[in-house]
Parts: sequence; C-alpha cells; structure tokens
Amino acid sequence: MAIALGIDLGTTNSCAAVATPTGVEFILGQRGERVHPSVVAFPASGGVVVGADAKRFRLTEPSHVIHSAKRFIGQNIRAPLVQLALTGIRYKVTEGTNQQPIVTVRDRRMTMPEISSHVLLHLKRCAERQLGTSVSDAVITVPANFTDAQRQATKEAGRLAGLNVPRLINEPTAAALAYGFGRNQDQLICVFDFGGGTFDVSILKINGEVFEVLASDGDFFLGGDDLDRALAEVLAAECNRVLHFDPRQHPVLMMKLMMGAEAIKCHLSDNDAAEGEIDGIDLPNGEVGSLPFALSRQQFEELINGYVNRTIEVTKQVLAQARLSPGQISDVLCVGGSTRIPAVRQRLAELFRRQPNISINPDEVVAQGAAIQAGSLSGSITAGTGMGARDAVLTEAHSPLLYGGATPTKGTLQRPVLLDVNPSTLAIQTAGGYAEKLLEKNAPIPIERSRVFSTARDMQTRVEIDCCRGESRRYADNEPLGKLILDALPAKPRGDLKIEVRFRVDADGILHVKASDAESGAAQEASLQVIGAPTAGPEGSA
Amino acid sequence: MTTRMDVLMWAQRINAMAKTASPHQLLDMPKDAGADAAQEAFQKMARMAHPDLHRNGLTPDELEHVTSAYAAVANAYQVYRQNLMTTSRMKPINPGDPMPSDVPATPSGAAPIGSAANAMSSRALVYYRKAELALKRGDLKGAILQLKMAVASDPQSAFLRTALIEVETEVRKGP
Repeated sequence: MAIALGIDLGTTNSCAAVATPTGVEFILGQRGERVHPSVVAFPASGGVVVGADAKRFRLTEPSHVIHSAKRFIGQNIRAPLVQLALTGIRYKVTEGTNQQPIVTVRDRRMTMPEISSHVLLHLKRCAERQLGTSVSDAVITVPANFTDAQRQATKEAGRLAGLNVPRLINEPTAAALAYGFGRNQDQLICVFDFGGGTFDVSILKINGEVFEVLASDGDFFLGGDDLDRALAEVLAAECNRVLHFDPRQHPVLMMKLMMGAEAIKCHLSDNDAAEGEIDGIDLPNGEVGSLPFALSRQQFEELINGYVNRTIEVTKQVLAQARLSPGQISDVLCVGGSTRIPAVRQRLAELFRRQPNISINPDEVVAQGAAIQAGSLSGSITAGTGMGARDAVLTEAHSPLLYGGATPTKGTLQRPVLLDVNPSTLAIQTAGGYAEKLLEKNAPIPIERSRVFSTARDMQTRVEIDCCRGESRRYADNEPLGKLILDALPAKPRGDLKIEVRFRVDADGILHVKASDAESGAAQEASLQVIGAPTAGPEGSA
Repeated sequence: MTTRMDVLMWAQRINAMAKTASPHQLLDMPKDAGADAAQEAFQKMARMAHPDLHRNGLTPDELEHVTSAYAAVANAYQVYRQNLMTTSRMKPINPGDPMPSDVPATPSGAAPIGSAANAMSSRALVYYRKAELALKRGDLKGAILQLKMAVASDPQSAFLRTALIEVETEVRKGP
C-alpha cells in the first residue's frame, strides 16, 4: 500500500505528517523545520522557490512572492470580502474565466490551484526525500466553512501536484481526531481553530472511534493576518507622525511593517510589552530612517478586541446550533497559531469556565489528524504496513497514537469513523426571490436528497435553477453557488415532465447533482456550474 | 469489522427500500425513538457501513452502492432529527404526569402525556396524538389536518390553537 500523507494546507503555514503504527512523523524542511510557510516566490533569477526560502524574497521582490493564496483559492473574485482581501496583497490578481482570480507574475498567468500546487509539491518532495519512497496520496485539510468551489479547487491543487487526494477533511475535525484517536473515551469537545487566515469552531461528540460533528461554523476572513494588518496600520500611522511620511502607498514598506507587526504580536504572547525600532525605512529624501515603537500587551489586546469578540460570538452561535451549553463541553481544544494570544485563551476560559486544552501544538495538530485519517484510509495504521519498520518521531506533546501511555497493539486500534457535516444551507431560488432549502446546515455527510422539478412553459427543453448557500430566506442575501442546468429535455406540455434531481454532498463536502426522468427513470444530463471553480487553465479552455 | 459481503447486503437492502421507507425504518429503530436513540442508531450504522471503512475492499461500483445507501441513511437521520425538533417545540414534555383515566389508548401505546394535554377534551387528545405521530413521520400536512380536527373537538383549548399555528408557520417557512 502506498504511503499517504496528511497535509494541513494553511493560509500562512503548511504542515505535513505521516501516520505509522507507532506514531505520527512530521515531514521536515531543508533546515529541519516542521512548519513550512505557504509562500511561493518567482525570483528574478528564475525558477520557483517555496517555503522558508521563498519568504526571503518578500522584501526584495514583494510583487513576485505569492502568499495567502488560500484566501483566493476557489473564490469568486467579485465577492466583496475577496475584493477587500485583495487590498492587502502586493502581487497582481485579475479576473479570469468563471470569475476565478488569476495571478500574474513575470508575464505568467496562473490559477490559485496552480500556486497552491507548488506548496503541495514542495511538501511531497520533502516527504519523498525523508521517507525514501514515492508518495502518491494525500489527505488535505480545509477550513470547515470552505465552499464547494474552494474544496474543488483544493483537490485540483492536489491533482496538479501529482497527488491523489482520497479525502478532504475539515481542519477542526482533523484536530479532534488527533486529540481523541486511540483514547477510546466518550466526550463532547469544542475545537476552536483560529489560524492565520480563517476561523472555525466545531462541536464534536467523540464516542470511542466515532467522531460526530454536531455543529460547525466559522468566518472565512478572520485570522492572524487580520491582526497583523490592524497592528501594521497603527505602525503606519506612527510612521506618519514620527517620520512625516505615509508608508501606505509603498508596498515594500507596508510589507516590512506587516512583518514587524507579526513579530510584535508573537512577542506580546509571551511578554507584557514590546519595545524597539523597525530599521531600514527608505524615506522619500533618500535617507534611511528607523521607526521606534513601544506597545504594551494591553494596548494590543484593545486593538484586536473586535476580532476576538467575533470569535467568541461565533462560538456561542455554534453551541446554540448544537443545543448545548458551555458547561456541557468537557474539553476545549486550541488549534491555530492565533490561539497563542493570551487574550484569546482568557476569553475562551471565561466562556467555558475551564482552561482550554493547549497540550497539542496548535500549529501541528491538524496535520497530525490528517495523517491519521490518511493512514486509516490507506490501511497503513491498522495493517502495520508502510512505515512499520521505522521509528516514528514522537511529537512535542505526545504521539496521538500512544496517548496516555496506552500501547495500541495490532487489532485493538479501531479505524476512526469521521461523521462530518454540511457547512452551510444549500438552497435554490424560487418565484418571488425566495431561497428554498435543499439541504440544511449541519446535516451529516455524505448525504443524498432528491427533489422533483417540472417545466414551467410548453415545449421547454432546458431548465436552469439558481443555487446558493447561506441561511437567509431571501435568495439575494445568500452567496450564489452557480446554476444547475437540466438540458436536452423532451419537449412536452408544461408541467407534464417531472424531473427528479438528486443532490448529494459527498464526504469531501462537494455537491454532486444527478437528474433523471421521475416516471421513466431515464437519466438526464445535469451539471452544476460552480462560480469560481477551477477550469483547465487560467483562460478556462476546457 | 464488517465483512465485505455483510456491507454489500446491507447496502442492497437499504437501496431497495430508500425511496419508500420512512426515516425510522431506514435507521432500523422504533418509530418513537428519541434524539439520543436516533443518534445511537445512526452511529451504529456508521460504524458498520461508513464508505471510508470499505473503500479498499470494494470495486468502484460496489463502493458507490454502499455510499448511496449510507447517504440515504444520513438523510433519514437528518430528516428524523429535524422533525423531532419541530415536535419538541410544539409539545411541552412532562413525562411524570399520569394519563387521564377517560382517555382511550393512543396508537403509540400508553405513552406518558404532557400536563398541557390535560387541558383538552379526550376526543381532542386522540387527534392531538395522531398529529404528533404525523409530525414524527415528517407529514406536516397530516399533522395540520389532525390538529384542525383537535381544535374542532375542543375549541376552548388555547394550547391546541397555538400548536396549530406553530405547525402552520413551520410549513410556510420551508420544505
């Protein structure tokens, strides 16, 4: 059986791991690092540089360094939040076919899946070097609130990197798997995943080897990057005040301030105050200035208070959706680098009246879970094949496979069963601009439901149905998904033709549509054209 | 671990009945199962038949067969849960209350009834019980009919009128 990786493809950082019967082994970069920046650089010297090395080019060639591609992958470039996110980047993004964002670097036009595939390929190569064998499969994690198009685009990135992707799993679910696998306990947990670019909360019921997601929600445009940007804006204002020079028009300078802000943020997680100066600021008069700063943790907390409030609000909503009170949750799992911020942990502790669990490294727990699922799907965890002969590296906190000192022996380790949910309500447009529910939020997946449609005009041979996702009763208030097209229908008087359309959300969270004649059962063509979904190339020739 | 043959036979059985069976039949549980029992029934099926557990041992066609059966069961679970929520909102539950002695046996047997139900005539209570059962089946129109009958038998009961309005609102709200 081929070796299957678990990959946490993050907004700022990615992490890969492989599960073995004895533990989870992390894939290391050239310098032995476990966390790989999701950065792809196209330097003037030619070639493609990925990971820690690519980060170096951020200051010298900011417009040729692609970061945060996850914010744009599978997105409709016309969406307001995407437009807002575009203001924070220094590389060129334009609209391609099917409203997908296209990156232009050095006259090369690339889709977002192509950019992400470079990150995946880098991880694949690191893994192959480390394991001494070829790697063909990978389970990739995605934010729980990722849309159809985003999921399809992530799979496409895997395909472009030469990886077969047997499953996409949701990041909070992966974290819960890393936490609960092999513990054989029954409990209700909350996974609070506050990463670099996205925020997710899931409530899970762990029942032995079954991990059932009860409710999940999140904010796709909320993460550590936003905190950095808020702080960088403060630094920019300070720069304007002290040096009489507005850096906001200068991409290189703003990038420098963003990097400074990130460093200050991390410093303030462990210290009460940050003081120092940012050097090397090129002033318009040709001189090089430096910007002194002094920030207390309290000031920083006030600055990010709005963002933290939002995460707590979403957490409360998810609890309500699961019909649970905070007191019923027996453990709160912190995932993602932003949960290192003391204010975030403190607010969580206040809400749940218990200290959140930080025993697993928040940057690595998702990749661990993905690796366990990959090992389970390929059979290498239970069958004892694959890496059996190698000694797995124990993770800093513990190996999830050896949790609590229990030594799982062959046969006693049950394969985990992940029961994930549909992230948001799917609906279709009906007369009067209303949205009619097809499938509710938090329904278990894979799931299939059928609906019967009919023609509205005589001799109609084509039916187009607008699909959307979102909770509003009005179609226009929801996020458009795409058009469902039933084509080449037999010409009949209106209402005579009954078409049964089967909607299936698969275990990857991707919607599939099939149609058949409700009376004869004869299959019809049906397709859902998802806005922002990947097409063959930047020009969408397929 | 379920064997390949077991899961294929299960899938065949589910797929054959998926179009006509009611949710509790697909989940292989009593028709008055509560939320916890439904969750247990669904998890039991997932442990046995989740497609991920069988992907290595089955051909693509067989896997599609199992996935389709599992997806039907997942839908049954979702529909059942949604209906339970509707029912529990309509009915204030007070399991400790005794049955009024003049009430004829309800179709579901001697289930304990709520105190609010005491405030209606015995005739209305029978209709109310039937409405509850219709709701559990997911038959909202049937429930409305039975509730209208109940209100007709006991026009004084504010409880029944509220219940009727609630279900009618539910029908207007969505599918």
